[in-house]
Amino acid sequence: MSFDLQKILESKRALRRDLAARPVAEKLRLLDALRERELAIRGRAIHYASGTVREEPAPYWNKPK
Amino acid sequence: MSIKEVITVVNSMQADGVIEPYAIGGAVGATFYLEPVATLNVDIFAVIESVPGSLIANPKRIYDYLTARGGTMEREYIVIAGWPVQFLPPGTPLVEEALKEAVVRDVDGTPARVFTAEHLAAIALQTGRAKDKARLLQFVEAGVLDAARFQAILARHGLVAAWQKFERQFLGDEL
Repeated sequence: MSFDLQKILESKRALRRDLAARPVAEKLRLLDALRERELAIRGRAIHYASGTVREEPAPYWNKPK
Repeated sequence: MSIKEVITVVNSMQADGVIEPYAIGGAVGATFYLEPVATLNVDIFAVIESVPGSLIANPKRIYDYLTARGGTMEREYIVIAGWPVQFLPPGTPLVEEALKEAVVRDVDGTPARVFTAEHLAAIALQTGRAKDKARLLQFVEAGVLDAARFQAILARHGLVAAWQKFERQFLGDEL
């Protein structure tokens, strides 16, 4: 283990590059897993009538500022 | 819970004529080009037929089709294979263009229609929330954008000034 910030940052960049380069199907499976984890973290804090947790939709109708 | 199942269902909707050619946007669309980032929803863009005699989109046919196949309604979402999915009509000329120019990618033998990286980046600039800016930064850092194509999209949709502001704020002397 190193506490050299430059090494840590380079290692993080390398991990992100590695993740981005994986096959799409694998990345989508990672999204499934990430959502499961997110639900486990947030699920008990955010209650909707159905228990389904989701985000606010993006304002796709925005005009450029 | 599987996004691939969602894609399979949406492909069936297209094959059955319930929706016209669709495209995946948002964080799931970005995942086709970038590292995965946690998201809670799937955004599906498609031209949705209007209520007869008006310009208001009529999602009833979509909901009828999906609820008949086990989907459940949750406010503005429909839950398919455990994922809240939102069907969005193209609300701006930029999204209309993105939908027309979307590309087909293979997901383990299943075709998926998705916005191009350049359109996803331009849409993130236009929507402009903090997480959209973070996504745009990911696109830039990953080096997946065709610069000429991206600049042309920005120019066509009046986003050049917003891009210059973004560059000043987030890219500093990198360019």
